[in-house]
Formats: sequence, C-alpha cells, structure tokens
Amino acid sequence: MNLDKLQIDACMRSGWQALDLGLLMARAWFRTLFVASLLPMLPLAIALLTVFWKSPFWALFILWWLKPFWERLPLFLASRLLFGERPAVWSSMRSLPLKDIIPWLLWRRFSLQRAFDNPVTVLEDLKGRPRRQRLRVLHGKYSDVALSNQFVCCCFEWLLAFSLVALFDFFIPGSFGIHYYDGFGDLTLTGEWIFTLAAILSMALVIPFHSMAGFALYLNRRIELEAWDIEISFRNIAHRRRQRQRPTPAQVLLLPLLVLVTALFTAGTPGYAEAFDGHERESAAELIEQVLQGEDFGQERVVRKWRFKDWSNDAEEAFPEWIIDFLAWLEAHQEFWQGWSGAASWLKILLVALFGGLLFYLARRYRGPLSRLVKSRAIEDPAEILFGLDVTPESLPADVPAQVMCLWDEGASRAALSLLYRASLSRLIDRYQVAFHGSHTEVECASLVQARGIESLSEYFWELTAVWRRLAYGHRLPAGDTVRALCDDWTRELASDTE
Amino acid sequence: MLDTAYRVEIPGGIHLEAQVVGPIPRIFAFTIDLVIRGIILAALSIASIPLGLDGVGGGFFLILLFVIEWLYPVLFELLARGQTPGKKLLGIAVVNDDLSPVTLGSSLVRNLLRTVDFLPFFYLAGVVTMLSNRHFQRLGDLAAGTLVISIAKSAQAASLEDVPPLAPVTQLSRSEQTAIVEFLQRSAHLSQPRQQELATILEGITHQAGEDGVERLRRHGAWYLGMR
Repeated sequence: MNLDKLQIDACMRSGWQALDLGLLMARAWFRTLFVASLLPMLPLAIALLTVFWKSPFWALFILWWLKPFWERLPLFLASRLLFGERPAVWSSMRSLPLKDIIPWLLWRRFSLQRAFDNPVTVLEDLKGRPRRQRLRVLHGKYSDVALSNQFVCCCFEWLLAFSLVALFDFFIPGSFGIHYYDGFGDLTLTGEWIFTLAAILSMALVIPFHSMAGFALYLNRRIELEAWDIEISFRNIAHRRRQRQRPTPAQVLLLPLLVLVTALFTAGTPGYAEAFDGHERESAAELIEQVLQGEDFGQERVVRKWRFKDWSNDAEEAFPEWIIDFLAWLEAHQEFWQGWSGAASWLKILLVALFGGLLFYLARRYRGPLSRLVKSRAIEDPAEILFGLDVTPESLPADVPAQVMCLWDEGASRAALSLLYRASLSRLIDRYQVAFHGSHTEVECASLVQARGIESLSEYFWELTAVWRRLAYGHRLPAGDTVRALCDDWTRELASDTE
Repeated sequence: MLDTAYRVEIPGGIHLEAQVVGPIPRIFAFTIDLVIRGIILAALSIASIPLGLDGVGGGFFLILLFVIEWLYPVLFELLARGQTPGKKLLGIAVVNDDLSPVTLGSSLVRNLLRTVDFLPFFYLAGVVTMLSNRHFQRLGDLAAGTLVISIAKSAQAASLEDVPPLAPVTQLSRSEQTAIVEFLQRSAHLSQPRQQELATILEGITHQAGEDGVERLRRHGAWYLGMR
C-alpha cells in the first residue's frame, strides 16, 4: 500500500462526508465502474431473459438476488484505481473474486451494511471469526451512516427504474399500460419487459455509487484508525528533510562556479539600485498624464437616442401628485357620481383611472430601461481631415476639374492629383454621406464607397484611388490623358447636379 | 485528488473552505421536511373542516397548501441561516456559491426550480445533475448559484494530555507542526505498533526509534501546542 499515490485527500471526515467522497469517487471512475458492474451481469441476464421470456420478473428477481456478486468487480477495480493504477476491466474479470460468496448470497444477502462490509471480504480476504472481529472494530460509530447509504441507494435504485419507465412512457404516443397510481398493478408483457430492462440498467447505474459510498466509509474508518493522513504528512516531512540535506549532483558541480562568478561580477559594477533617479519618476508621471490628455486617447462622439422628457428630475421616485389629487377629487364628489349612475359605475371609473395612473407611473418609473428597447444609433460627425488632406467642402475651389488641369499643366502633378482626390472624398462625404473615419486607409475608403452600391461611382473611385496611391506612395506619375479622363469623369460622377 | 472540499477566494485574498454535501444527507433532510410539511397540512385541513371543506374552508386550505408547498423552504432558508428543519437536523445549510448567506433571489430560484429537478419522477433530474458536477449542485442550485455545505461541528474537543513538552531541534513549517500535534491528539485511538511505525518515519527529526520515538514525538507535539 503506497499512500503517496492515494487518489483521495486523506483527512478526518464525518461519516456523511465520507459517503459524499464515495460518490465523487464513483463520479470520477464512473465509466470503468459502470462497465464493471454491467459486463458480468449481461451474459446471465440474456440467458435468464431467454428462459423466462414470458415472465421476465423472475429473471429480474434472480439478477437482483445476485447483486452482492455484481458489486465485487467494481469494488476490486476501485481498490486499484484508488492508488492511481489503471486496471483493465476485461483482464480483472478473469480474477473475479469469489471469496466467501455463499454466505453473501444466502443469509448475508439481508445485511443492511453490505457496501461497508464488502471490502473486508473482497479486499482483506477475511472469513469467519477474524472477519467478525474486524467488523466490530470497523463499524464503530458508522453503523447508522452505512445503513442510510444502503437505504437511500436501495430506494433510489427502484425509483430510478420507475422513473426511467415513466420517462420512456412520456415519449411514446399512448401508453403501454402503466397505471401510475396503483403501483404497477397489472402490466402487459411489454410493460414487464420494459420495466425489467429499466431495472437491470438502474441496478448497473446505482451499483458504482452505492459500493463506492460504502468503500469510502470503510476507507474513512481506516484513515481514522491508522492515521493515513499523519503518515502522508510525516513522509512528506522526511522527504523534504532528505532533499534539504542532500544537494543534487548539479548543485555540487555548479555551486563553486557560481560563487566565483558572482564574486567576479559584483566586485566592479555598481548595483542597479544606485542607477535609479527619483526625479525621473515624477517627470515621467507628468509626461504620461500629458500624453493621456492628448487627442489620441479618448474619443468624442454624438449619440442620439430616444428618451422621455424630463419633467421632474428631483422627484423621480415620487408618485405623481395629480393622480392623488384626482383620486381625492373623485372621492369628494362621491355622492355626485353615485347619484349619476350608481356605485358600480364610479368604482369602475376609479379602477380604470387607477390602472391608467399605474401604467403611466410605471412607464415613467422605468423610462430608462424602456427607452433602451428603442434601438439607439450613434451618428458620428463626418471626418474633416483624411490622410492629412482637408476634406471640408469650404476648402475646395469652385471649379475643381479646371483647377486640377491648371495645376497639372503647371507641372504640380502632386498638388493636382491630391486636389482631385481630396475633392472626391469631400463630395462623397457631403453628397453620399459615406462614413469615412480618420483611421481608414485609402483602400478601406474605396471599399466603403463600393458598399454604397453605385457601380459607376465605385469604379471611378477605385481607379482614382489606384492612381493616387501610385503617385503618393510610389512616386509614379500617371499619363496626362489619364488625369484628363479622371477630371472629365469627376464632373460626371461627383460634380454634375450638386450646384 | 478527489476531495469534498469547496474553496473560494474572496476579495481581499482570503481563502474560505467548506465541505459540500451530496445527495444522501440531502435526501434525508428533504424527507424530514416532507414529513413536517405533511403534519402542518394535516393540521390545517382539520382546522378548516369547520369552515366547510367544499366552501371557504376548502379555498382557505388550498391557498395555504400553495403557500406552504412553495415558500416553506424559502422562508426557512432566509430566516434560519439557510437551514430548513430537516437541514438543521442533518447539520447542512444552503449558501451562495461564494459562501455568503443565501439571498431572497437565489433561494426563490433554487426552490421554484424544484419542479424541474423533480422531473420525470422523484427528483431524478435533480439527483442526476447533482452527481454530474463536482459540487453536488442540482439544477436549481446551478441556476441560483447556490450550494449546500456541511456546517456540523466535527472536531471533538481535544484534551491536553499530560506530556512534558520538549522543543524540537529542527524547524518545521506550520502544516508539518500540525501533523505532529495531530499525532499527539489522536495517539489514543491508534494502536501501539502503528504509533511506532509512524514515529519511525520521523526518525530523522527525533533521532529515536520505536517506543522512545513515539514519546519524543508526543513531547514535541505538546511543545507545539504551547505547553512550554
């Protein structure tokens, strides 16, 4: 038994907590344990169901009676899993423990603490008198908890079977003859079969949890009696001491070298701490503050959305005065209303008024959340400067193409094309409300224009963008004809009907 | 490492630990509450007979039935520190999953969702969900962010034994000291050979084996307990 590899946290627990730990164990190893409880059961189940195919409850009864036997393989596997081994279900099945099985299937079948006592037989391999003595030591104060485990798991097993049948029944049209209220009064053969299969399944599902809870209780008792937790702690102390005392070979080799190197280096150079100048930190803080104040950090945007008018900001929570006034007035003129059309009538009016008032009050009270239902849309101011170019309409000359051609003929090709590009951007913002942003690149701008869906315009703008990029970044002059064509198209695409 | 402990770190870097509680104690607690509710309802139905069971009395009873069935756990969880009478008997309580006391909202959610946990019959959904997560939360607990923890006082008051204290030569960390103190306090429940076996592991510290090692360790334990 190597306690270092123990997969559970060994510490003192109450009996109930031990049961919970057992359920966690079953949860962690569920696949293995489920297979281990179902697999040995299957061949016999198939054989019995074939024999008793007309009264499957007999098959179920025999399988149920043999339950102590089905619980052994999961327990055996769990005792290996507990110490971090990975046992194979198939190979363990060949060594399926048969120890002392006769008493377990006869008089001990009625034992109420089976899951707790099982480990003594299966794992400690004790029989007769030694077994009784051992059990007397183990039981101690945990008898009632072991009993609770047996009771709950037994009930749950049958309720699970019942629920599985009911669940199946819910999902088929009609029923196969279950009468929920008088137990399973008279079932059809199909019903019996379905219940038998559900009960076998639920038996295999519950066995891991039941036997692990009992096993954990047994382990808890042993941890208590043999102080496993103290042993683990003591081993850790001893281990740590040994490590501290015995330096590793690497340490032995490296230590003198390290001392030498450190001595050499620390002799000449000043420590890093001395290089630090306190003033720098203050000025740095100021600088950081300054940078953070700048335009690049933070954004301003205008957001327009719907909200209710602000009537009385200060008395937001108060119930509106006038409703109270109105109600008082109604009450004061009670006789009048009564005389007019009877009590029921004014009660109705009062109720309607109250309801109206309530609606109004609620609408006002929750105007914040309500207004959020209305989709808000952020509208940004159009960009004014793109790529360092001023794109406000005011900055443009009256006749852009003429100005462009004039500049081109003068030889200021860069100025000419930048004017054309800038004017295009300006018009796109102005006329088509294209939402350019300062952070967009030329290609992104062109894509935005394309997204507007005007084919000739987007074609023109792509071409202009290409020419402009080639000139601006690649320093490659376009042909004079291209520029002229661009100017002409500009008039058609962007200038024509705006003025 | 499989463990029932539930650990949270609350703001301020404080670590809290609690033991989560699984289905078996909770089923018992539920059954006790069921019985208590049954008794209350039986008493109420008898009390409403004079009013006429198919008249006012019947209506009165049905309203109370509704209130008790739905609000009994909520009421107790809020007023009795997360404990219905059944939970109190079992020493368990409902808390929020940051281990703060359960609030009205979470208590309502976890108890209204009992309907879902009950499906298809006998809390099958609830037990299956409990067994499929580490902290034994049923669907209602998962939705409300609550869990059930054990608050039973476990440690029996340890008596100080009459052992002459002796300062250990080696310096040990706090958890290591605790282990030695535990050894002193639990040595009454351990067999003599087992005590010697354990003491032999620490021969490097006590420099004694067997009987003397046990005695040495017990004296160190007494010293760590403050009998100096």
